[in-house]
Amino acid sequence: MVFRDVVKVYPLPAGDVTALDHVSFEVERGEFISVMGPSGSGKSTLLNLMGCLDTPTSGDIYIGGTRTGDMSDSELTTLRRDRIGFIFQYFNLFPLLNTLENVTFPMMLKSKGAVDPAKGRAVLRSVQLDDELFTHKPMELSGGQQQRVSIARALINDPDILLCDEPTGNLDSKTGAGIMELMTELNRNGTTIIMVTHDPNNARYSKRIIKIADGRIVP
Amino acid sequence: MIFWEIAKRNIRLHLLRSTLAMLGIVIGVVAIASMGILGNSMVLAVSDSLRTVGDSVIVTPHAGGGSARGFGGGMGGGPSSLTITEQNFQQIQRASVPNVAIPILQTSDRMKLGVGKDDIVATIYGMNPDDVPDLLKLKEGGYSRANSGCLVGSKFADDNNIKVGSRIMIGADGDKGTLRVTGIIEERGMAFDVSTDSAVVATKDWFDNAYNRNDYDKVVVKVKNLDDLASVKTAIENQLNKRDKIVDVMDTRKTMETIFAAFGQITTFVSAIGGISMIVAGVSILNIMMMSVTERIKEIGIMRSIGAQRNEVMSMFLYEALILGVVGSLIGGVLSLIGGYAISSMMLKTTKYLFVPSSLVSIVYGVGFGIVVCLICGIYPAWRAANLNPIDALRHE
Repeated sequence: MVFRDVVKVYPLPAGDVTALDHVSFEVERGEFISVMGPSGSGKSTLLNLMGCLDTPTSGDIYIGGTRTGDMSDSELTTLRRDRIGFIFQYFNLFPLLNTLENVTFPMMLKSKGAVDPAKGRAVLRSVQLDDELFTHKPMELSGGQQQRVSIARALINDPDILLCDEPTGNLDSKTGAGIMELMTELNRNGTTIIMVTHDPNNARYSKRIIKIADGRIVP
Repeated sequence: MIFWEIAKRNIRLHLLRSTLAMLGIVIGVVAIASMGILGNSMVLAVSDSLRTVGDSVIVTPHAGGGSARGFGGGMGGGPSSLTITEQNFQQIQRASVPNVAIPILQTSDRMKLGVGKDDIVATIYGMNPDDVPDLLKLKEGGYSRANSGCLVGSKFADDNNIKVGSRIMIGADGDKGTLRVTGIIEERGMAFDVSTDSAVVATKDWFDNAYNRNDYDKVVVKVKNLDDLASVKTAIENQLNKRDKIVDVMDTRKTMETIFAAFGQITTFVSAIGGISMIVAGVSILNIMMMSVTERIKEIGIMRSIGAQRNEVMSMFLYEALILGVVGSLIGGVLSLIGGYAISSMMLKTTKYLFVPSSLVSIVYGVGFGIVVCLICGIYPAWRAANLNPIDALRHE
């Protein structure tokens, strides 16, 4: 993933707000990067741009060699579906679907129809979730289990990048450590991970830290 | 499809409010369909009793106006002062060539149906024996040419236990003479020309003698080619009503068309009132769909962020509206069949008009309208959901 001279300006009635100011960096395949910074520094904007939920005001973003700048909503959606995995602070599982359905949901989006649940089971096992929980609803799972399900959901379409927004922010430290161990192992197996956090303990798991303040990358 | 599944589960999750919204649709469908059924049954019931084929022009004396032959009782000397003279009849006949003009005499009188029996009062028609087969079909017996013979309507025969060969003494104490029944007329229902079901049909000559008549009460012109109905009517009017309006001329087909058009309008009107309840139901569907979208903004944001397209999010909500519409409408359809059955049997005393295509079509209309209303009311909420900004939606708490 390449960010080249990326500027993001939010036009507000009170005047334009520059959330990202000429940001450039590169992420190599297989990296594990933490993005750190105080609130309001532009972390969320950066995450939205990396996750193709938004496009830059100027500058270029390439994901796996594809420039996101002038893609349509539908193309960006397809890109998110096929090449990016999202992990959220509040897990964000679908309450109406059971564990296995939550995990295979992005597969169903991709295939536009029924899917073989075998892959969903395999990925759920790879995030160390017990088989007996596969048919439970998210509400019946603990926070740590829910986050494992959401990681499995993020991995199901074999994305290029895993984007994590405070993945342990809603978990106790022991469970959080378990999740971080899991992410480290996924990274060891080749998954590229970009994690937004303000927890220095989590940042220690990553191989590189990008610090951001007032919309700029700081050393 | 997963979005169909989610729509189904969401309805099940909010079963109470979904049921209440569906109830509105059920009522709307029942209102439209049962009004349609009732209106249609009424039309069928009326057209059954008005069994006249629309092939006649009926000429009656003009009632009203200041002519000397107005409603002054006793002025003309005959039993009725409003009549068509022999001369007028000749004019009608000429105007209707090549069609047959049938003159008809009509009165009511007392009659005795056997020794020791009480007098009854019934309508008596007088017609030329030559004309009778053109107008009346017999169920039993044969036509009579003799002045002492007569035909009776089937209801008259049933009610008074009359058979071919029975004798009827006409007039108080039989002073108009005795007639022998030679045939029983098929049931005709209420008709514009002659309503014979409860009447006696005698010959014109007997009638002239008995009631001292030389004019007519009504003339029926049987028109062979239906396209000529209007021109025959105009020809008669031009002939007779040149100076003063002497006769009223009625084209039965036109009259029946007018009657059915009026019934059609009434049916449409009451169905439209049913339609209002459907619109109210649609608003409640719109309402719960908006609720459903608002509650699930975050879920929509998650879906969009992990790769659900706008149209997929839209389809999820349209499925929800569709399920509400189809289930509600089908329940409404079944209930209106039951309701239609109940209303028909109570108001019309028969349900034979319920299971005919034109009644069942009302149910199809009601069900179809219900589904369409639900879908239309689902479009805006679904569109709103699909066009939420995923970033804002994700951040929504």
